[in-house]
Amino acid sequence: MYRTVIALLFVGVVNAHEMTPTYPTWKDTHITGVVKTKMEMFNKRKDVDYYEIGVFDKDMKPIAFVSKYDIVKLTYLQHLKFDVYINNNDKSRARYICSKSKIKTDVKVRTAIASRICSKFK
Amino acid sequence: MVKQLTLVGMVALSANVSANTAINGNVQSRCIISTDTEGTFGNPNAYTLDTATTNGGELAVTRFDVTLADAYYAQVTAPSAFSSSPSLADVVTWTGDTVVKAVSDSTGMADYETNKIETGYTDKYDLTATGSTWFKTQSKAVMGGSKAFAGGSYTALVVAECIAQ
Repeated sequence: MYRTVIALLFVGVVNAHEMTPTYPTWKDTHITGVVKTKMEMFNKRKDVDYYEIGVFDKDMKPIAFVSKYDIVKLTYLQHLKFDVYINNNDKSRARYICSKSKIKTDVKVRTAIASRICSKFK
Repeated sequence: MVKQLTLVGMVALSANVSANTAINGNVQSRCIISTDTEGTFGNPNAYTLDTATTNGGELAVTRFDVTLADAYYAQVTAPSAFSSSPSLADVVTWTGDTVVKAVSDSTGMADYETNKIETGYTDKYDLTATGSTWFKTQSKAVMGGSKAFAGGSYTALVVAECIAQ
C-alpha cells in the first residue's frame, strides 16, 4: 500500500518545469547603465534537456538581454541559477522573463507539451 | 574514570548546544508545470488525426501547481500546425480545445472553467486559488479534400504557459 502511494506521488511530479522567483527585481551592476536579476530553474522533465530564456515587454515583444546562454542546458533534476542583464534604459519596459522548454524533434509521441513559465517585474 | 566523566560532560554539553540550533527555511511562491499525459493522435479515417478517445487517441493533460493565489495565469494553447510531419498533401484544418479536467480544491477552483477566456486556440485561466489544476487538451487535424495523411510520424505541440500576474 505504501509503495503504491509513494509511486503515485512520484508519477505526479515526475515531469515538471519550474522557475523562481515569481516577482524578480532588477539590481545595479558594476557596469554603468546595466542592471541584472538572478533567476533559478529546476528541471523535472525527463523529456527536456534545454530551455530558452527570454525577456519581454507587456505585449510579449522581446527585449534585448544578455545571459550566459539564450538556450541553457538543464538536464533532468538539475538546478540552475543564472543572471540576466539588460540595458538600464529598457528596465521600465521589461515586464516578463520567461523560460520555455525546447522539445526534441525525435520525440516519439504524437502531441508533445511545451511548457513556458514567465516571472513578472512589478 | 575522570577522563570518562569529562568526556560524558562534553558530550552532554554539545548535545545541549545542538538542541537549540534552529532550522530555518524560506518557501518562495512558484508555479510548476507538469506534463501529466502527452497525448496521442488516433487515426479514425485516412484524412483525420484526432486525440479524442472515441477516435482512438489520448488527450494531452498538463498540471499546474501554484503556491500563491492570484499570482499566475495559466494559458494552454492547442496545436494549429505540426511541429514535425511527412510532407502534407493539402491544407490541414485544425480544431482544438482545452478544459479543466480536475482540481485539488473543488470550492476555490470551481469557476475556473466558466471564467476562462478563449482566444483562438488559447484558453486563459486565472489561477485564483493555491493547489493543483489539471487541464486536458483535445486536438483534431483534418486533411483538405479528404486526402490521406501520408504514412509516418506526426508531432504537434501543446503549449502550456504559466504567466505571473
